[in-house]
Amino acid sequence: MEQNLYQNIPIKVRSDIIEAQGRTLIRLASPGTWFAGAERLRIAKEVRNAKNCSFCKQQKEAISPNALTGKHKSLADLSRPIVEIIHRITTDSSRLTESWLDGILAQGVSDAEYIEIIGVIATTISLDTFAHSIGSDSLTLPSPVGGEPSRIRPASATSDMAWIPTVDILKATSEERAIYAEGKNNVRRALSLVTAEARGFFDLVDHQYLSGSQIADFKNEVSDREISRAQIELLSSRVSALNQCYY
Amino acid sequence: MARLRENLEQNENEYDLGVITGTSDGDVGIEHGALLMDYADAALGDDIQRLNIAREIVIATLGEEACGDAAGVISTFNAIDRVADATGIPVEEWKLESSEDFRASLGIEKFKELHLD
Repeated sequence: MEQNLYQNIPIKVRSDIIEAQGRTLIRLASPGTWFAGAERLRIAKEVRNAKNCSFCKQQKEAISPNALTGKHKSLADLSRPIVEIIHRITTDSSRLTESWLDGILAQGVSDAEYIEIIGVIATTISLDTFAHSIGSDSLTLPSPVGGEPSRIRPASATSDMAWIPTVDILKATSEERAIYAEGKNNVRRALSLVTAEARGFFDLVDHQYLSGSQIADFKNEVSDREISRAQIELLSSRVSALNQCYY
Repeated sequence: MARLRENLEQNENEYDLGVITGTSDGDVGIEHGALLMDYADAALGDDIQRLNIAREIVIATLGEEACGDAAGVISTFNAIDRVADATGIPVEEWKLESSEDFRASLGIEKFKELHLD
């Protein structure tokens, strides 16, 4: 069912993007793997709040974010380490370090909770950047959906490539392997410690950007896009350069 | 960047990737590349007037649907960059090999250093 998410804007948004964003909003508000729907929405709201944080602005401008001590301006309904995760990833992710993450984990946030939080942050930023780009207000977050988190942790997750355990496609269950259905690049593996989060986030990626099979096809233009493959990759490269993202 | 160059090489375009990272003032070599980069720059900023102008130029030049498609790419990478940064995932071998000749000259290697203590 196509929802009319955007009204009174001079842009034509492809119907598959609208549908993917509709699914994404429901997913944001629904129980995840480690957080209930209401908690996930609190994380999303804190992402939006981080843009107004004066401490984040000071850290961003400092030569090192670790040179400053201070407190984030938060909505005050999440723990301090979770607020730190949200604000740093939202406003200054290019300077995150493994030792910073070690400090977060030492404060009691589990590695899997960390990955789910990243998924919610990335999802919220994706939706909000899209709305901002097309001249719309940010989408209204839905009410939370009741239910308990699944608390499923992939048995085969190992710490052999990233700061956090990930699931190798060769060792994945059929459900976990679905993360890689559209591509096997490392960024798809990045969220694999929380299978549902990885699948949900990349559902949005596949429609807003390209699916894995589309990415791999350099010879043909993407049939349902009004911009060329070169223009698509130009935009992706420019954004990543602006974000100073090495990957 | 590696995918972009792959596409440009396959289509035998003349190009200058340095324009993307600001290390060159040339022509990126992609049709309407400059106005698309302006749109991306504006979308990541807080200057609403600048964004409105950039968006109107994209719409006038490429159309409303193209603008929606561009917004999709911009929003995806503004998010996915954070996934990569926050998890410390390594760059794939094929990407490192194919970009070995330009990463340093385009200033991309400096981005890796930002994650060091």
